[in-house]
Amino acid sequence: MLKVDNLITRFGHVVALDSVSISAAESKITTVIGANGAGKSTLLRTISGLEKPASGSITWEGESIVGLRPEEIVRRGIAHVPEGHAVISELSVEENIEMGALFRRRKYKSDVSAAIDEAYQLFPRLLERRTQLAGTLSGGERQMLAISRALVSRPKLLLLDEPSLGLAPLVVEQIIDTINTLCRSTGLTVLLVEQNANTALGVADHGVLLALGKVVADRPAAELKADAALRAAYLGY
Amino acid sequence: MNTFLTALFSGVSSGAIYSLVALGLVIVWRGAGIVNFAQMGQAMFSTYIASTLIINGYSYWVGFIVAILAGAAVGSLLDILVMRPLSNKKRTELLSSESMRAAVPVIASLGILGVLQAMAGIIWAAEERGFPAPVAREGLTLGGTVMPFTLYDFFVIGVVLITLTITTLFFKKTGMGLAMRATALNQEVAKLSGIRTNHARTLSWAISGAASSLAGLLIAPSSTLSPTSLDLVLIIGFTAAVVGGLNSPVGAVLGGLIVGLVMSFVNFYMTPEDVYISILVLLLVVLIVKPRGIFSGKDSRRV
Repeated sequence: MLKVDNLITRFGHVVALDSVSISAAESKITTVIGANGAGKSTLLRTISGLEKPASGSITWEGESIVGLRPEEIVRRGIAHVPEGHAVISELSVEENIEMGALFRRRKYKSDVSAAIDEAYQLFPRLLERRTQLAGTLSGGERQMLAISRALVSRPKLLLLDEPSLGLAPLVVEQIIDTINTLCRSTGLTVLLVEQNANTALGVADHGVLLALGKVVADRPAAELKADAALRAAYLGY
Repeated sequence: MNTFLTALFSGVSSGAIYSLVALGLVIVWRGAGIVNFAQMGQAMFSTYIASTLIINGYSYWVGFIVAILAGAAVGSLLDILVMRPLSNKKRTELLSSESMRAAVPVIASLGILGVLQAMAGIIWAAEERGFPAPVAREGLTLGGTVMPFTLYDFFVIGVVLITLTITTLFFKKTGMGLAMRATALNQEVAKLSGIRTNHARTLSWAISGAASSLAGLLIAPSSTLSPTSLDLVLIIGFTAAVVGGLNSPVGAVLGGLIVGLVMSFVNFYMTPEDVYISILVLLLVVLIVKPRGIFSGKDSRRV
C-alpha cells in the first residue's frame, strides 16, 4: 500500500502540492481527479521521484521512498506512465517495451520474456507493429506502448497520468477496460490521474478530488460520482 | 590516374580517423548533451602513455591496448569527477537561464583540455616526439611498381572498420546499448524505465574516450606528438560531426570520410595551403544548406 502524508511540492514560489495526504489501497483502483493545474501530475511525479518534495512523506510497503531516484523507485515496483503517451519515438515498438524490462533482464531472464509476451497479448496491435518506430504509431497505440513499457517491469503499483488525453472515446474505453481487467485479475494496485472524471470514477474504487494543490474530497468513487454539488463546484459539469 | 588513387586512398584512410573523432564527439553529445572540447586532449594523453610504454621497450600492441583502456578510464573519471557534479547543481542564481546551464559543461571541457595539456607538458616535456607505426608507411610495391597506398592505410581502415562494427553491434544488439540510446533520446522515460542514466552517461564518456584515443594512436605516426598536436584534429573531427549531423553516429562516420576525402583531394590537386580553407568552406555550406547535417535522420515525431 502507498501512503502519502502532508506532501508539499514547490516550483520556485508556486506551491503545486499543498499538504496532500492520500493513500492507494492494495489491488484497488484509486483515482485522482481535478481540473487543469490542480496538481494531479505533480503528485504522480513526486511519488515516482521525478520531482523532489519540499516536505512530507511517501511510504511504500512500509518504507519511505522520498529522495530515491526514479530509476530506484521503479525497481521497488512502482511504474509511472507519465502524461502524453511517453514513449521514445526514435526507438522501435519492440525496443520501447524491452526498455522497461532492462533492469530485470539478468536476474529474471525467463520472466522478462513472459512479461513481454503478456504485453503483446494485452495489446495485439503492438505485436503487428513490433518493428515500426514508436513515432509512427497513432496516439492510442502510443499510450498502449507506454503502458506496456511500464507493465513489463512487473510493477505492484501503476501510476497512470491521463491515459485518455487526446484519444478517441472508443480507444479510451479500451485502455481503461484493460487497466480494470488487469487490476481485478492480477491484483495490481492502480493510481489513476484523470481530467475525464466520469470515466475515471466509473472504473475506480476510490476517488480523490484535488483543487489548487489541496485535497477537497476523499471518498469511495461511487459516492464522489453521485455528488452533484461537488461536481458542479470543482469539475464544471 | 595515380594521383587520383593516391588522393583517394589517403583521403579514405585519414577520413576513417576523423570518423572516429567525430563518433567520439557524437556519442558524448547524444549521451550527455555536451560538446566535449577536451576529447583530443584526452586522446593526446593516451597517446603519450602509449609512447612512453613503447620507448621503455614494451611492444607497440601493449602501448596500443593500454592507451585505449586509459582513454576509457580518463573519460569515465571526467564524467564522474567533473561533469556529473556540474549537471547536478541546478538553478543556482548565477545559472538561472537554461542556456547558461548548458554552457557550463562545455566551458568545463575547455578547462579540462587546458589541464590535460599542461599536465602532459609537465610529465613529458612540451617538445615534439615521433610515434611509431606498427606496419610500413611506404607505398606498397606490387610486381615492381609502387602502389598508391600503404600497408598502414589498410591497417587504419581495418582497425576503424572493426571498431565501427563493434560499436554498432553494441548499440543495436545489447541491453546496455539500448539503455544508452534510451538515455540519449529521452532521459525522463529512460529513468522511469529503471535505467540508471548516470551509469549510461559515464559509459558514453568511456566509449568516446576509447574511440578518440584510438584516433590519436592512428594519427600520431603521420604527424608528431606534442601536448597540442591533436588540437587541429578536434576541429576537423568537429567539422565532420557537424557535416554528418551531430545527432547521428552513422552521419559522423560518413562526415569523417567526406572531410577526409575533401582535404586529401584539395591537398593533391590544389595546394596544401588550401586544405583548411576547404573544410571551413564545406562546414559553412553544410550549415547554410542543411544545418542539421547531411545525414541527420528524418524527424519521425508526429504532431
